[in-house]
Amino acid sequence: MSEDCQKIGDCEDARIQRLYEYLDGALTHQDLEEVKNHLGECTDCSHEYDLECIIRSVVKRSCSEKAPSTLKVSIMARISEIKVEAGH
Amino acid sequence: MAPAVVSLAERPLLTDRAVDWQAMDTKDTASVPAAHDNPDVDLASESDGARRMRFERDALEYVDQLYSAAMRMTRNPQDAEDLVQEAFTKAYSSFHQYKPGTNLKAWLYRILTNTYINLYRKRQRQPQQAATDTVEDWQMAQAAEHTSSGLRSAETEALDHLPDSDVKDALQSIPEEFRLAVYFADVEGFAYKEIAGILDIPIGTVMSRLHRGRKLLRGLLTDYARDRGIKVDRAGKKGPQGAKNQKSTTTTTDHTTDTDKEAGR
Repeated sequence: MSEDCQKIGDCEDARIQRLYEYLDGALTHQDLEEVKNHLGECTDCSHEYDLECIIRSVVKRSCSEKAPSTLKVSIMARISEIKVEAGH
Repeated sequence: MAPAVVSLAERPLLTDRAVDWQAMDTKDTASVPAAHDNPDVDLASESDGARRMRFERDALEYVDQLYSAAMRMTRNPQDAEDLVQEAFTKAYSSFHQYKPGTNLKAWLYRILTNTYINLYRKRQRQPQQAATDTVEDWQMAQAAEHTSSGLRSAETEALDHLPDSDVKDALQSIPEEFRLAVYFADVEGFAYKEIAGILDIPIGTVMSRLHRGRKLLRGLLTDYARDRGIKVDRAGKKGPQGAKNQKSTTTTTDHTTDTDKEAGR
């Protein structure tokens, strides 16, 4: 870890939190630039960033089941029986 | 098995707390309302038939996504189907309360989550996993050890190629509160504010659940990857036998068992 890492957080936990916020699109424009610049010059933090990107992409890839085709049909059948209260 | 019917009065679904769904129309592309979700619908004069058509067109578009989320909640396909069906039925009954052009996906997710809490979690016989506040220290300590510096490149590679089953197992073994927050953020791309609305918790809580959940998940995934990375190395030394060994998943299974034992100590 370089001294520069202090720019994005005082301890490892804080730096990881900062990277999460960066990836989550939750930083202000100024903070975002700061993290982006730091990632450009720090191998440790950019490795950390890459790792987090890999984790997100494997999680996303693994959790995208398709619903059985019959599900949509049975939902439509069920809602066609519902009479929405009058007056709404 | 059809889910038990719980009276809406038991816990009013949508009127219990004021959630400003309009305010949740963020720039987040994953949550932008479908282009055809026309904000100019005249709710007062809309006929039942027209409303049903609008629901089928706009809301049912999310059936796969809700099913996938339901799988993370119920852990099995049949319960996930029942849950999604129940959630859509409730959503349709309340569809007149949804303001067209606002965040329909987040609105549906909130109904899904509430339906899950009301119908399923209550009757789940299996022992609940560690609750948020009682996550064992060993789990957090173990997770903390897994920073990237400890990972060799073969392991990073293995992480990237982890089979879906390993990833689902890992996600399934972190406490539910963390799991759902991580799922909503990392898979669905919801913003903190939207997750706060869906789970009905403050934004600070969303952030802390994400932080802890991601840390635990990272620890588990890097363990799996490390096992597989090491296996790849050994296979390389053994020559032609290698490819065969690589396919083995026994290490992963053993690992899960060990973790469970440790958790129950």
